[in-house]
Amino acid sequence: MHHGEYKTVGGKLVIADFRIRDDRLCDVSVSGDFFLEPAEALENINQSLEGLPATASQEAFAAAILRALSPDVEMIGFSPEAVAIAVRRGIDES
Amino acid sequence: MTKKRADWRDYDWRLIRGEPVPVEMNHALDEVLVRRVGSGERQPTLRFWDRQGPEIVLGRFQSVRNEVQVENTDADGIAVNRRITGGGAMFVEPENAVTYSIYAPPELVKGMGFADSYAFLDEWVIEGLRSLGIDAWYEPINDITSSGGKIGGAAQARRHGAVLHHVTMAYDMAPESLPRYLRIGQEKLSDKGITSANRRVGPLRLQTRMERLDIIEHLINTFRERHGLRDGQLHPDEIAEAEELVRTRFATDEWKFLLP
Repeated sequence: MHHGEYKTVGGKLVIADFRIRDDRLCDVSVSGDFFLEPAEALENINQSLEGLPATASQEAFAAAILRALSPDVEMIGFSPEAVAIAVRRGIDES
Repeated sequence: MTKKRADWRDYDWRLIRGEPVPVEMNHALDEVLVRRVGSGERQPTLRFWDRQGPEIVLGRFQSVRNEVQVENTDADGIAVNRRITGGGAMFVEPENAVTYSIYAPPELVKGMGFADSYAFLDEWVIEGLRSLGIDAWYEPINDITSSGGKIGGAAQARRHGAVLHHVTMAYDMAPESLPRYLRIGQEKLSDKGITSANRRVGPLRLQTRMERLDIIEHLINTFRERHGLRDGQLHPDEIAEAEELVRTRFATDEWKFLLP
């Protein structure tokens, strides 16, 4: 199990838990003390990371998350970049 | 023509002074009441909470494993609940906290960003605390703080055509047992407000020497003078609906371990 954390400038903690199988992310679960509207968008964030190569850059993770979110989704206290940093740390530090 | 932003005084605000209820019930009532305000079945409402016991409350997006020492909460019979708003984990004991919920029509915060709407919906509380001699202010996004330390935190969700905004403030210091239940390092403790035994928390009792119920009464009066407020109560069908939601959702492992 890989686990990465990133504390945003505003103080919110973003956590990414996932596995790496065949060099790709799977069973991704993003969590933390942030706010997200609508709440169901969390599943879109998790899904957007599923299957991405573990060698991908932080920017690529952030772009994938951004692509998966419809324009009416509001991330409050965190961002696609914050999630991407947590994921990258989970890959690099495990 | 676009609808302009409403004012507090455009509404007939109702007050609910909560009886102590089983801890899951408060979360179910938030869901029921925000839905009823959204559908127009209920007037915009301010509800103060009371609890029958202690609880760990997780934010909607937190994982149990990452936040809670489940072996200890299980051993001590401490309930672990998940609320429907985001934000961080708290350990709340009935006598140590002041919690309220605002159920508001979205027009009240129309056109405001999230950060602004948090501060706006709690202006009355800042005023109420200041008139008790606490130099309270809002720390974006969602903290109520003072030079005596952090007082509490707010969380919002927009659902069913209404805004739920709830706040928990520390009335007394968190117990020594806190680190036994929550997985937080010493550094993060300072960020956890109500949960924290850290000296950077400024509980209301320490800052006012007032009884908890007197502080609540003072805050209710502040809201009443500023925005208008009539005494109200929970309707029997709201209670029945919330009890059903406790059974089918809020007390289930499926909900509590939504993020395992």
